Amino acid sequence: MTTFFQQLINGISIGSVYALMAVGYSLVYSIMNFSNFAHGGVIMLGAYMGFFALAVGNLPFPVAMILATLGSALLAIVLERIAYNPLRKRNAPYLYFIISAMGASIFLENLVIAIIGPNFKTYPKVFEKEPFLIGTLALGRLDVMMFIISAVSLTALLFIIEKTKTGMAIKATAYNLRASALMGVNTDHIIFIVFGLGGGLAGIAGVLFGMKYTVYPQIGFITTKAFIAAVFGGLGSLSGAVLGAILLGVIETITAGYFSSQLRDLIAFALLIFILVVRPMGIMGKQNEDKA
Amino acid sequence: MLKIRDLNVHYGGIHALRGVDIDVEAGQIVSIIGSNGAGKSTLLNAICSVVKTSKGTVEFKNKTLPKQINKIVEMGISQVPEGRLIFANLTVKDNLMMGAYLRKDKIQIQKDLENVYGLFPRLLERKEQMAGTLSGGEQQMLAMGRGLMSDPDLILLDEPSLGLAPLLVNTIFEIILNIKKMNKTILLVEQNAYKALSIADVGYVLEQGTIVKKGLASELIKDPVIQEAYLGKKKV
Repeated sequence: MTTFFQQLINGISIGSVYALMAVGYSLVYSIMNFSNFAHGGVIMLGAYMGFFALAVGNLPFPVAMILATLGSALLAIVLERIAYNPLRKRNAPYLYFIISAMGASIFLENLVIAIIGPNFKTYPKVFEKEPFLIGTLALGRLDVMMFIISAVSLTALLFIIEKTKTGMAIKATAYNLRASALMGVNTDHIIFIVFGLGGGLAGIAGVLFGMKYTVYPQIGFITTKAFIAAVFGGLGSLSGAVLGAILLGVIETITAGYFSSQLRDLIAFALLIFILVVRPMGIMGKQNEDKA
Repeated sequence: MLKIRDLNVHYGGIHALRGVDIDVEAGQIVSIIGSNGAGKSTLLNAICSVVKTSKGTVEFKNKTLPKQINKIVEMGISQVPEGRLIFANLTVKDNLMMGAYLRKDKIQIQKDLENVYGLFPRLLERKEQMAGTLSGGEQQMLAMGRGLMSDPDLILLDEPSLGLAPLLVNTIFEIILNIKKMNKTILLVEQNAYKALSIADVGYVLEQGTIVKKGLASELIKDPVIQEAYLGKKKV
């Protein structure tokens, strides 16, 4: 039983970081109706920013985290300006956006390989190795911190979306961009904010993953998990993305714990295919709308 | 108040509006009638810069209108679009608040919100409900209420009776008259020609992108050609 709870808590911890990535995905999707495959590039650079701030700059962890968050937000905004904005102005088909996103993703990965190199880099030790002990449960400090940082970030995002006027405009724009513009909403501005928010969260996720594993140019591949989580929960639905991400994290760690960690990704992708076949709109997705 | 001169719109190879001239004076209801595909919605969308114009000018209070959609509402124009385009994922109240998006005067917004609820009591009953759960008629009311929340001088109504039951259509047209009494100017685009002309001061007939007739609404409604083409009456 202890093992089960141990795995459950690890799963929630990993899942909460998937959630950080998945909401960024979902936010962009809800407004622009395409899957931003360059999100992984932002996560990767966020991880490197955190690494250099800690390992080279010798900055304290909170400062490194803030730098990586702001840097990634800025990167996502610049990416939107360069890779998507020109397409938007021309009313290009969604496929063009996806191709542009893939191009940006490959570009960023190779840029890092060329400038920083293809090697794995290990984050300096930020948290002590000894776990917190609660009864017979041993909780890794890093896992607990990952969960806390993710939960705080997601709560902040939820507050912005649900309680502020800008959040209301984001939801309105997601539902109907033209109607929102008719209300006087500067939809360019909303898209700018959405990429900033998604990018910031991606940066946080990048640092957390960098600390948990290592940093390397292909770390952005982990966004495939976020994509699965977002589809699982229902693309375009933020609460769905969070729920899908946590479930995915738990399913993965339980699989790894009880069967084999090599089966982990197999299970995750089998899950994706299963959902697409059985319930294409996801757990909380909108059924009646064609937003593919 | 609104002065449209020689307005032309092209959609690819289609010439959707061909040199349209329209004048709307303050305090009037001006109705534009015409069949499906005559260019009625295109006209309203051209005023709001939703579609690009290829030639011609639109002046509002002697100023040329800006080319960005989101700047139009700042000028004092609000559009109640065809198909309502309400925000189904927001509550009724939040939909109305989106209408007041650019306004900062909280006290006046609250007053206008109460006025809208007075005009549409159904919206008050359902203010916390998600707008997507409303019936078609209620959604039309919400779209009109939302259009009023920017406190516009001119309201553009695009086919407000579309898809509504006959009784509701009467209600909607009564409400349009009530909106006029609130000192608003209304440019109405409708397929329901009889209803649209019966509440209007001035009418225009749009056919294949051209204004083929204009005049006092009370006279147009008696015009035998219009009666035959749009009001379903046979020549005697």
